[in-house]
Amino acid sequence: MEIEVTQEKLSRALNNVSRIAIGRVTLPVLNNVLIRVDKKKVSLTTTNLDMAVIDFLPTSNSKDGTVTVPAKLLADFVSNLPKGETIKISASDTKVTISAGRYSSTINGALADDFPELPELDEKKAATFKINIDDFKAGVSEVIIASSNDLTRPALTGVFFNTYDNTLAIAATDGYRLAEKKLISGVESEIKAIVPSSSLQEVLRSLSDDVEEIEISFTEDLVRFRLGEVEIISKLIDASYPDYLKLIPKENDSKITLNREELSRVTKLAALFARSVGGSIVCETKLPDTFSVKSIANEFGENASDIETKVEKESKTRLNSRFLIDALNALEEKDILFEFSDGVKPIVLRNKKSDKYVHIIMPLNS
Amino acid sequence: MYDVWKNALAEIEQKISPANFSTWFQNTSLLSTENGEIKIGVKNTFYVKQLRARYLDIIKTALENNGLEVNSIDFEVNSSSKPKVRSREVTKADDLIKKRTPSLKNNSTTSENGLNQKYTLETFVVGSNNDLAVGAARSIIDAPGSRYNPFFLYGGPGLGKTHLAQAIGNELLKRDPDLKILYTPISHFYSDFVESIRNGKGKEFNRKFQKLDCLIIDDFQFIVGKEKSQEEFFNIFNDLYQLNKQIIITSDRLPSQIKSVDERLASRLTMGGAFDIQLPKFEDKCAILRAKADQIGAEIEPEAIEYIAENVNTNIRDLEGEFSTILLMSEVRGLTPLELIRNGSVSVSRSSKLRPLAPKQVVEKVAKYYNLPVKEMCGKSRVANIKTARQVAMFILSKELSMSTPKIASEVGVKDHTTVMHGIKKIEQDLKLNFTLRDQIAEIKEKIYG
Repeated sequence: MEIEVTQEKLSRALNNVSRIAIGRVTLPVLNNVLIRVDKKKVSLTTTNLDMAVIDFLPTSNSKDGTVTVPAKLLADFVSNLPKGETIKISASDTKVTISAGRYSSTINGALADDFPELPELDEKKAATFKINIDDFKAGVSEVIIASSNDLTRPALTGVFFNTYDNTLAIAATDGYRLAEKKLISGVESEIKAIVPSSSLQEVLRSLSDDVEEIEISFTEDLVRFRLGEVEIISKLIDASYPDYLKLIPKENDSKITLNREELSRVTKLAALFARSVGGSIVCETKLPDTFSVKSIANEFGENASDIETKVEKESKTRLNSRFLIDALNALEEKDILFEFSDGVKPIVLRNKKSDKYVHIIMPLNS
Repeated sequence: MYDVWKNALAEIEQKISPANFSTWFQNTSLLSTENGEIKIGVKNTFYVKQLRARYLDIIKTALENNGLEVNSIDFEVNSSSKPKVRSREVTKADDLIKKRTPSLKNNSTTSENGLNQKYTLETFVVGSNNDLAVGAARSIIDAPGSRYNPFFLYGGPGLGKTHLAQAIGNELLKRDPDLKILYTPISHFYSDFVESIRNGKGKEFNRKFQKLDCLIIDDFQFIVGKEKSQEEFFNIFNDLYQLNKQIIITSDRLPSQIKSVDERLASRLTMGGAFDIQLPKFEDKCAILRAKADQIGAEIEPEAIEYIAENVNTNIRDLEGEFSTILLMSEVRGLTPLELIRNGSVSVSRSSKLRPLAPKQVVEKVAKYYNLPVKEMCGKSRVANIKTARQVAMFILSKELSMSTPKIASEVGVKDHTTVMHGIKKIEQDLKLNFTLRDQIAEIKEKIYG
């Protein structure tokens, strides 16, 4: 096996794949990257058995063959080589020689036979979606904050890809809050799949500027993300997702429009006084035109801020300030809609103009 | 099926490297073997390809060596092969709102509270032997810290005290996941206590308990001889009780019968009522076995269940043990449990009890237990302890051997069968109040059957 490639390209590819190839002690070969040249096509592969990252590396010169090398070591070595050099990697058996100009080193690799076989996506059975990269990036980052890391409820540790009314939406909830974003409309395939949040985070990290579109294909137990030369395949979480659409209340008593930055500021102020009570703050509307945010910390004092806005009905709710701040960061427009009721009805936040994103926060028991 | 796979795994383990074995074969299970079409459950789709590509032959050989016919092997992603609790995640949306509405209390994690989630009320079989205790448990779940506080649960080993106590904890958590609950056997309590004193953290130890909403103490009887721990427990008990926090205690006997338990503590422990769990009756035992069979998805004939229920008279733990043994044997031999019993290949240790007991033996054992010569016990003496021994013998002959009163009369040397009737009645009466007597009879029964 032999390849020749520029330092920049190789370094970027190795950085992409080596992130998941660390920390596995039971099967050492999983810390390695598989370098494969098959009919002049070069690919770098790593896996942690929940997902795999494959980077196809365009090269001018190569000879067929396979080998595996400790991923972290190779990535660190290559990233420290001078930029602009052409790097040559060649392997005979398990000895891997890397040379670039006057630099050269030999790494003990392992036979590619030890590297696990990876599952393949059955193209015929797959449901495929193409999404603009910016929409995807924004959507996933706005939703993923609401996913849970409670392993006893595996379904909630992922992001739910869901089609309904010819729309592909993604949603996440940890039981305390929920976020949903409609990604694309006019879809014909149907899909209900839970993608592990950790895999999606890896996808977000692998995005580069020169990619415009991401292709996502689902089969029954596998998902594949294709972004330019990078392919990420991941298992799906085998669980049923709660019927989250039922959580979104149809009607709420108070519906007010607020300036996002102003609300964010008063929430942060209130949060300072809410630390000792677990971040609990009170939101209240008063006729004719007052929305107020209050918090009380017995030992420090209390805080109350008012915002002027049109109020039609008086109500009061209590919620966790941290969740509200998260939600406000995920919203993007200048003005937002804030809907809530007395008692235990969930609080709904949306952008004023676009209805693609909705964020729900459960109120706290008062 | 489970065991066939276990054996196969043991064989595979010898053939491949430990790293490969623990990576690829952990959390696998055998799903079905019908017509030689083997189905193996794996953790996720990444495992399917690798197992098929590299380990198919090894798996096939291992299964065949364990007596299975193998025509084809298929792999299936199977969530039950994951070590996770499945049932909890099919939450309905409405429940999600109700249950997960966070309150301001601190979060408690399930791993720290000592509760084992497999103990739930649904899996607890209610019968005449425990219905009172379960009733009280339910009212605790509805309103912890109010009516039955402290909840004192006692009974012999292996009857389900721990199960019930933990089930209360788990149900409480289900209703309010933010409750602070701690389950601890008393032995851990005093070893932690000793540790905290050694580190000079006695106060912290106390504070840890004061924050609790519900304290569950298991096997309280082992407090014997730990005076200092007892004092500490008494303090914590009082603090929690004052705050109306639920306290649940299990023990194999009443506190007043545990040597060296302070009288003040003893009386306080039972002021919320003491509930006993008794040996299950035949019908209860059948119900337990049937529930167990459903739970593990095993098929067993009603007659086989009755056979086991009839022949295991010690406790539920033994009952379940026998049950598993028979299921296992039926799997290994390829017979149904009933066929196994019919063709006499069960050499179940306790089924020796089936052998009819001779009344003489019973009388001898009772006499021996009370340190009396048989002649004296079956004599005319009206000395209290001799008389009681005689009545106990009558009672056991009647209950265990179902003998008629005239026969019993001739066996224990009394003239009149009405004396026997009186004696049996007397013991039945006494049993309700006299716990020492109850223990004695249980011990005698163990000796007779053991």
